[in-house]
Amino acid sequence: MTASVNLTELEHDALTELVNIGVSRAASSLRSMVGEQVLLSVPSVDVVTRMAAATLIRERESEELVAVRQDFEGAFSGRAMLIFPQANSLELVKAVTGDDLDACEVRAMEMEALAETGNVVLNGCLATMANLLRRPLTMSLPEVVRGDGKLFFEIENPPEDDAVVLFLYINFTISGRDIRGYIAMLMDLPSLRALKELVGEFIASVMATDDLGELG
Amino acid sequence: MTDDRHAAIPSQIRKALEALPAPALETLSGAWCWDVGAKRLHADGRFAQLCNLAPESAAAGVPTSSFFAAIHPDDVMRIKIAVAGVMHGSELFAKEYRVGEARTGYRWVSARGAAERDADQHVLRFSGVLTDITEQKRVQEQLRIAQTAGGVGTFGYTSGFGTVEVSDQFCRLLGLSPTDALPVRTVNGAVIQGGEIIETGRRELGGLEQAEFLIVRPDTGEHRWIARRGEVVRDDFSDGERMVGVIHDVTEFKRVEAELRRLTAALEDRVDARTRERDQVWNLSKDLLFVAGRNGKFRAINPAWEKVLGFSSEELVGAPVHALIHLDDLPAMHERMARAARGESIGEFECQVRSRDGAFRWFSWTTTPAGDAIHATGRDITARKALEDQLRQSQKMEAVGQLTGGLAHDFNNMLTGVLGGIDMVRRRLRDGRMQDVERFLEAASTSGQRAAALTHRLLAFSRRQSLHSAPVDVEALASSMADLLRRTLGEQIRLELEMTPQLPMALADANQLESAILNLAINARDAMPSGGVLTIRARALTLDDAELQRSDHATAGDYVEISVADTGGGISREVLGKVFDPFFTTKPIGQGTGLGLSMIYGFVQQSHGHVRVESHVGQGTIFRLYLPVHVGETQVAIDEAQPAPGGAGQSVLVIEDDASVRLLVVQVLEELGYRPLETTGSREALPLLQSDAPIDLLITDVGLPGLNGRQLAEIARERRPQLPVLFMTAYAEPALDQNQFLDEGMAIISKPFGIDQLAQRIALMFGR
Repeated sequence: MTASVNLTELEHDALTELVNIGVSRAASSLRSMVGEQVLLSVPSVDVVTRMAAATLIRERESEELVAVRQDFEGAFSGRAMLIFPQANSLELVKAVTGDDLDACEVRAMEMEALAETGNVVLNGCLATMANLLRRPLTMSLPEVVRGDGKLFFEIENPPEDDAVVLFLYINFTISGRDIRGYIAMLMDLPSLRALKELVGEFIASVMATDDLGELG
Repeated sequence: MTDDRHAAIPSQIRKALEALPAPALETLSGAWCWDVGAKRLHADGRFAQLCNLAPESAAAGVPTSSFFAAIHPDDVMRIKIAVAGVMHGSELFAKEYRVGEARTGYRWVSARGAAERDADQHVLRFSGVLTDITEQKRVQEQLRIAQTAGGVGTFGYTSGFGTVEVSDQFCRLLGLSPTDALPVRTVNGAVIQGGEIIETGRRELGGLEQAEFLIVRPDTGEHRWIARRGEVVRDDFSDGERMVGVIHDVTEFKRVEAELRRLTAALEDRVDARTRERDQVWNLSKDLLFVAGRNGKFRAINPAWEKVLGFSSEELVGAPVHALIHLDDLPAMHERMARAARGESIGEFECQVRSRDGAFRWFSWTTTPAGDAIHATGRDITARKALEDQLRQSQKMEAVGQLTGGLAHDFNNMLTGVLGGIDMVRRRLRDGRMQDVERFLEAASTSGQRAAALTHRLLAFSRRQSLHSAPVDVEALASSMADLLRRTLGEQIRLELEMTPQLPMALADANQLESAILNLAINARDAMPSGGVLTIRARALTLDDAELQRSDHATAGDYVEISVADTGGGISREVLGKVFDPFFTTKPIGQGTGLGLSMIYGFVQQSHGHVRVESHVGQGTIFRLYLPVHVGETQVAIDEAQPAPGGAGQSVLVIEDDASVRLLVVQVLEELGYRPLETTGSREALPLLQSDAPIDLLITDVGLPGLNGRQLAEIARERRPQLPVLFMTAYAEPALDQNQFLDEGMAIISKPFGIDQLAQRIALMFGR
């Protein structure tokens, strides 16, 4: 299921850690946004093909999905997506907008709220990673799409770019609501190779440090 | 969980489950606090113990590198990265790794920590708790191995939830990517046959029956069979129901099962085919096939029975086999059935079987025992038998021809005596010389009677004469044959008769006995080509069952033994066993029929007697015939010399087609004082018989053109039931047994008969 660029176990751990740092930042941003306790964690990271990513989503989610999508460009380029099951997305919107809105207002605000939340999470995640890896990264505006894994990962008409997907499971806890979602980063192979190299540099820098506290 | 529920779960899993409930978590977790600013690590005693630090110094503070000092070399890198992550902004630190040292062994710990930051997000302190999870790991590892090795996937589903907790193996079995939780719909969606693996509507507590599901693996598209077991338990957390269970792949089992089923079906097909083949033999065979129980009753018959004998299966099944067997063959048949019932195989048993229309056909039977049944097949040998009979008859006639050659000389002598006597009488009458007439007539009459006796014997030999078992004076019979025998034997052979005086009467057909003796004598003659002695003996003796073991009809009792012994070359042991077989002969082709001894055998058996042969090569052969002694009064022979009593004008209807016999009979009747009515056959006799004309006696020839004498007698008795009937016969083939042929008030007289003899009989018919 893994793509042709193989990460070592240590690189895998390091990448997971980088993503965790990213989502932690994003959670922190969300916290200040909604003024509530927000917990975000990424238990694991997989590098898979588009098809495998679509399968993973399909196996785990049987209802319609909502995705917030942003393209990024820099040392590594691609498209980032924050994906929720439809039901969870409404929960997220409610959590972000507060419980005092009625259902009608929630629906009216859904798109905007999702786009903003997605931007915070994805931007926090990617920008933090780029920062840690000391590389600049630019991101497009968020876009909300509905559909399924096939659509998100362009299975029907795949571009000829040998793209792989960095597939992250993400657990949200906002205001006591448990929301599960996925972060998927579509990257072409050169970008993944660049990322792998950057991760390697990160590992080296960690190993070179005697006192990890100094990293803070 | 009770033990019986355990039984439904594979043993590997059971072991793991039994190990699980033990309190795996150490209550004493170690705590740490990493002071980033001071670059010191503070830890409690438990942490120090786990990480091989001196407790006092750990409490006081040690270099932060101490955090990693005791970590397993394989884990230290990733933990460093994780800590680096915390230092860079990760909010949660949750890792499992090994601590200790190679010498004393490593323990698995779970570390959970978080960073404390200032307003600028700088990390102030990184603190957390270290928990010993070695036991838990060990159990988890066992469970994982159990699941992987056993190919068993586990699941837990809380009612109302959209997802089900699953093990990696569960996902692998369904062809899904390993994960902890799957939507119920994803799990059940894989099933194409068998319903839901996760029964969302299931509420009642208790064991789940084993169920099997055909699924399509989403990853390969392969069809697999999955079996599920488990139970529904009360869920402690949600207060609802929880379905927990296991699944495993049974595709191979199913395949083997299907293969087995296919093989079984193929075997059944083959058995069917064999059965059909066998049925075809059963159905198409021209031979009679049947299955009988050991009780001798039909269990099944093949369709040939209907074609050959006209009996349907419905008519015969359940009926005793012997019901269809000819009376003559019954004793032999009972004996064969008894042997078959004992489990012996019977080969080539020939007997006559009755067909539906009452006619008998000959069959040769072979039987084989099969379990508690007897399987038999019968070949129709009626045609062969008929041919044999024909052949036997022609052989007999050939033998008669041979005999005739020898006898013609005697016959001519007798005829010369008769004709010459009559000629002389005629001359004397013409010349008026009456003194010698009586002498010549006496000589003619004697010659005629001798001729009559000869024809009797010839008829007996050709078996054209009716059988009549009657008391026989063996001594007288043998003595009377002496002349004939001497002529037949020739001059080189001496005949000796040794008769025990006062022999009891034997019960047999005298003519047949004569014929038998004659046959044995001829055989003896042929056995002594260069001369010898032929001895005929007769004596009385008692035979017991042991001595009659090989006889078909004889029973223990008194017998008259007639033995014929020669001093010839004897018969070898091999040949001795076959001498009674039909057509068995040692003579060159054309010189013997091979029938003589078989006829003797048949006659003796029919007479309820026994026959035995003893022979020693170089010493000669003795044939012994045993005939039962007649029990009861000896009928006083009619003294034919007595003058016949006369009639008193009684009306006697005579039916005879032969003019000279008719003339003679009518003449005798008139002379005796009866009133004869003369007819030549049924055409003339019928009107008389059907009229009221008074008829006191009917004398009729048996062999008549048109209606025969027996039929005419029937018609006569329709109007006159008490009418006495006297049959005259030259030979009477249908009258093989006189007792069956004759009704009350009927008698038979064989031609030729003397006038006195006829007169005596007529007088007897009138009760005088």
